[in-house]
Amino acid sequence: MSLYSVFESIQTTGLMTDVEQTPWVYPIIMATHLSCIAVFGGMILMSDLRLLGLALRDQTIAEVIGGLRLFKRIGFVIIVTCGLLMAGSEAPTYYPNPYFWTKMTLLLLVGVHALIFKPTVYDHPEELDKAPMIPTRAKAAAVLSLILWVSIPVCGRLIGYYEPNEGKAHQTATHR
Amino acid sequence: MADLALLQSNPIADLLNNTEWGFAVAECFHIVFFAVAIGTIMMVDLRLLRLAFPRTTCSKLLQDTWVYTLIGLAVTVLAGMALFLSDPRMYYFSPWFRFKAIALLLAILYNYTVHDKVASSSPSPGVGVVVGAISVLLWISVVTGGLFVGLLA
Repeated sequence: MSLYSVFESIQTTGLMTDVEQTPWVYPIIMATHLSCIAVFGGMILMSDLRLLGLALRDQTIAEVIGGLRLFKRIGFVIIVTCGLLMAGSEAPTYYPNPYFWTKMTLLLLVGVHALIFKPTVYDHPEELDKAPMIPTRAKAAAVLSLILWVSIPVCGRLIGYYEPNEGKAHQTATHR
Repeated sequence: MADLALLQSNPIADLLNNTEWGFAVAECFHIVFFAVAIGTIMMVDLRLLRLAFPRTTCSKLLQDTWVYTLIGLAVTVLAGMALFLSDPRMYYFSPWFRFKAIALLLAILYNYTVHDKVASSSPSPGVGVVVGAISVLLWISVVTGGLFVGLLA
């Protein structure tokens, strides 16, 4: 069974067919996806800027990381769920799209980033506050997180620009 | 309508419509900086709603975030104006664009009047919750309106 046929099978499941064919469901899922990216993406950016010492310097790192942790997790779950529903409902269309695969790779790297930096940075923010200077590992975590989380919505938007016949981005009125 | 026809051909439209990546780059700036603006506003809203940052005041949080909110909104609006100029006729006649434009105007006005005034004071829990909730709803309306402009174009 090829990967493409797996994508076709995903699209033909009852849930994905409902998402694709029920009026307003797809736009509502997309609106939720984008609203959450705007809200929670902004929070991720601000957490990273705090780790870099560039923003919210009057708040402790523990306050910023701890205060936003629950909301970022909720946002991530909603964003991923909506994203899976959207991608699944048009899975064969997404299959040849290089921006889709780039986005998936970046999401995988977000997981790798969490595995590496969660135990040493995000789980012990109070230790970062006690240090005389923000440790390099925390700054590295923030820079990588910024790169990943700016690239992900950019790739997400570029998915809509891909024209399979031309193999490159192409702008048409339907993409706006 | 003559003004609209005049607007239809402009240097920004040429740049966005006749280069391969012009429109996409402007859209990416629009989206990323909008996330910065809304993310920072939402942090204050979460404090007003008493859902986060219990050890700090709304006023302190506002002081720490306002500059990022302003930069985020400025770039978002500038990129948005460039996107509008790429096809003024289409946007002008789009009911969703009108909805978004009105929601954005209301959200910005609300943010820099009621929202900031309440956040700068020491609001009672009830007032904070109402002001924060209205802010969240207004900004989500802007995102939703913007999305439907694209989807239903």
